[in-house]
Amino acid sequence: MEQILANGVYLGSQYAMIALGLTLIFALMNVLNFAHGQMYVIGGFVTYTFYGQWGVPFVLALVMSCVTLAILGALIERFLFAPVIKGSAREESTMLLAAGIAFFLDAVILLVFGEKQRGVPKIVDGVFNYDFRLIMPYDRILICVLAILSIVAFIGLMQYTKTGRALRALAQDRTAAQLMGVNVDRYSMIGFALGAMLAGLVGGLLVTITGVNLGMGGPTSIKAFMMVMIGGAGVISGAIWGGIILGFMEAIGLAVLYQYGDITYLLIFVSLMIFLAIRPQGLMGKPWG
Amino acid sequence: MLGFTSKQLIGVGIFLFMIFIGVPLIIGATGRWDFYFTLTSVALLAIASAGVWLTFYIGRINIGQGAFALIGAYVSAILVVKAGWSFWISLPAAGLFAAIVAILIGLPILRLRGVYFAMITLVLTQVVTLTALALPITNGAKGISNIPLPSGISLFGIPILPDFAGMENTKLAFYYTACVIMILTYAALYRLVNSRLGHLCRSMQQNEELASSIGVNISYIRIVIFAISSFFGGLGGAMFGSIAQSVYPSSFQVADSVNFMLNCFLGGLGYVFGPMLGTLVLYFGWDLLFEFGKYQMLIYSTVLILIIRFLPNGLLSIRIGKGGDK
Amino acid sequence: MQRRSLMKAALTAATLTAFGATAAFAENPVLKIGFVGVTSGPAAAWGISNQRSMEARAAWINETGGYTIGDTTYDIEIVSFDDQKDPKRAIAGMEKMAQEGIHYVVGPNVDDGAAAVRPVAESNGIMYFPYAFPKSLYQAPASNAVLGMVANYQSGPAIYKYLMENEGVKTVAFIAANESDPLSQRDGGVEAATALGMEVVSDNVTYQVDTTDFTPVLTPVMRAQPDLLVLSGVSPANAPQLIRSARELGFQGLISTETAQDAGVLAEGAGDLANGFISVGGASTPELASPMMIEFVQRYTDMFGEYNDESNTKVYALEYILETLKVDPSAITDVDAFQTTMDTFEAPNPYMNGDAKLRYVGMTSFGQRRQVAVPLVVNVFQDGAFETLFVAEVD
Repeated sequence: MEQILANGVYLGSQYAMIALGLTLIFALMNVLNFAHGQMYVIGGFVTYTFYGQWGVPFVLALVMSCVTLAILGALIERFLFAPVIKGSAREESTMLLAAGIAFFLDAVILLVFGEKQRGVPKIVDGVFNYDFRLIMPYDRILICVLAILSIVAFIGLMQYTKTGRALRALAQDRTAAQLMGVNVDRYSMIGFALGAMLAGLVGGLLVTITGVNLGMGGPTSIKAFMMVMIGGAGVISGAIWGGIILGFMEAIGLAVLYQYGDITYLLIFVSLMIFLAIRPQGLMGKPWG
Repeated sequence: MLGFTSKQLIGVGIFLFMIFIGVPLIIGATGRWDFYFTLTSVALLAIASAGVWLTFYIGRINIGQGAFALIGAYVSAILVVKAGWSFWISLPAAGLFAAIVAILIGLPILRLRGVYFAMITLVLTQVVTLTALALPITNGAKGISNIPLPSGISLFGIPILPDFAGMENTKLAFYYTACVIMILTYAALYRLVNSRLGHLCRSMQQNEELASSIGVNISYIRIVIFAISSFFGGLGGAMFGSIAQSVYPSSFQVADSVNFMLNCFLGGLGYVFGPMLGTLVLYFGWDLLFEFGKYQMLIYSTVLILIIRFLPNGLLSIRIGKGGDK
Repeated sequence: MQRRSLMKAALTAATLTAFGATAAFAENPVLKIGFVGVTSGPAAAWGISNQRSMEARAAWINETGGYTIGDTTYDIEIVSFDDQKDPKRAIAGMEKMAQEGIHYVVGPNVDDGAAAVRPVAESNGIMYFPYAFPKSLYQAPASNAVLGMVANYQSGPAIYKYLMENEGVKTVAFIAANESDPLSQRDGGVEAATALGMEVVSDNVTYQVDTTDFTPVLTPVMRAQPDLLVLSGVSPANAPQLIRSARELGFQGLISTETAQDAGVLAEGAGDLANGFISVGGASTPELASPMMIEFVQRYTDMFGEYNDESNTKVYALEYILETLKVDPSAITDVDAFQTTMDTFEAPNPYMNGDAKLRYVGMTSFGQRRQVAVPLVVNVFQDGAFETLFVAEVD
């Protein structure tokens, strides 16, 4: 039981971080960013290169991941998403752009970083073992704490800074925000950069545990979509809840249903579908997002 | 041919001439026999994409067509291999089965809109793949292989369709079959869009509440459209299974569902023939870039991004010339 | 440094592909050999190690004057097609090979692709060498597929038997990804273990290929406390994470797999925790690798910046094709002649020390000779490198 809870908290915190960036971008621009997973992978590879290859301190490597992705995100918003959103008759067209960017980043990752699975040396050694009822390696505990701290910092940023207030205003009502004097173009770019940065940060954090390879991008995006849907699209608290719930669903599902083997995930997905059919806007989303 | 301008008729005539006579002539002249399969794939994927386009028409983003294509492929394969049916009867049966599944699933999920519908259909693709892995009738992980080629059909002793197994060149036969089904699909689609049902769909795309308030039975229309859409998916999938002579849980997966949707976006959501063009460009484009080796993906995605950057309303918007300002 | 060498490798490869078809070669006629497999996306590692082995070997042959078959000396050109692990694309790739007039193709890498290309290969007279295990591909009436490696139902029993006799292993647990290939391999493994009289304590735990945390997946398996944990059909990306999670959960027993792995990836991903991990490879260890193997690894590394141990088994398919053609030059265009030659073909194995032979096997498993005899070298990972555990033969 303790083990299931601990697994759930650990999975939930990392999932929530992935979902946060995605939901932020969705809230601001109504873009379902298919390339989110690829951004996460790039974040992982940047940390791998700096920390694993060149021996730069881990924290500095993490910062490099964040900076790289923030710049990448800002450029993508400024030169691709913004003009396409302006010119398209139906805003869903951005999905094609997002998918194109996902393919592009996949190709770049393959050419620059290669096809192999990569990993970095452990940041902390040792395993926390409480009477074999709760087993958790120390590096996992550290990453989990870092993830929770980042989430708290992000919420603080959104709640108490000028940028955060502007972003929230933008998410609520674009036109109204513009009328109130918010520079919509500038804050869209900042928001997108922030979303991409979160993806990079979590990629950098997780490379110490799971390693990184170019195949992780697509599936990560899809998982992030699911979390966002559980919590409600475009709602920050929803993304956090969605991540935690999916984390616990996996932890509990795998522990309880393991003897059914092949259908564990089938059951998880089916229950997700039933949940969404009953509550279409997710836990705390606006209906018809 | 009531209601068609002569220009439209000529256009359709040229198109039919091209695919049935022009393409074989060109392939015969250049000796690029491998293009038959590529174009057959384009035709089949365009059928499934037509279904996705139709759900867009009622304002739903559908990322679940891979699920129905997989269902269609399995139904046809099981009917042919285990029940001994003729492929030609299993083909509509596959479509119908997909449509029935779509009605059952559509009842609860068609209430959803926007990204929520998109997501639930995406999850549906995974559910169907995992179900195929778990069920005994689908042979689980081992898939169904060694599916016989379509057999001939004769009515009162007169052969209507030849036996594929006895043929020298099944490529050509599959190409013609796929093209005929594709043309029927798009003719049906065109007819549907220009019917009363089509007008109702457009009103729903604009505003469901409003459409409902003026007496449109929106839930009925949604189900009908989703069922037709999935019928197309089932057809396309079943044909593919027959060409590959094998079906695996991974024959159609999330990536395929996403591609079907991208085909519609690329061609243009406002045009009936958009998905056909989108499929041609996306699928054939990949093959044409074969020469670039490891840079294939890089160039492919760059071109894709440039197209959507400068033609955000799809390729067909060039003709109309209204892209650029909303 | 790492990244720079990778860039350099990328540039080299680009130049090769760009000029491969046109200029670089001298007057020798060109013999084209195909590759259809996955070289982009999540499973890129499988196909790329394959493609690079072939390109490295071809470049080596061409550099040293070409390959003589009959009276003609050929330059070897590798034509690669990326099927993106999609069976529909794989068919297109095989059509492409037929278009190029190619009769010998290596790949595809997975079950569904290998099954899907069969109609095209058989109707166009193409022999293909898949890395997929379903027996129906190789048993009559199928005729044109040749298994390019040792199947898990062949290596599995050998490994289990060895471990029963030498390590006293009695109980075994299986874990597999929820996908066609790994699930089939798991079922094969369970069957083999049961036949040997081992007790299978857990065989229904699966994981999604995109799993990032294996602790919840492994916890129920650990509760069964097996002597041996088999990672069926595990991908090189997942192997280190599974090993690490199992060890961190306090698992003391043995861990093995029947697929080829890369020592570098294991060392990076699991470090010392991977010590004792058993996998299958080619002539990968120092005492087995012949001078030719060592030179191959060197050339591969120079060409692409970094070697992949999976290539130890993947170097063979091209060698088999060429050696067999040498025995009967008419087989270059005549696949039937190739199939006839396969029954009697035998040549020394250039990549392995000792008197190992290249020959076609598979009578026991398939009833016809439709498998290349890659030496079944069972490795154990120790401090960053593989050591030979034992060597066996497949018949």
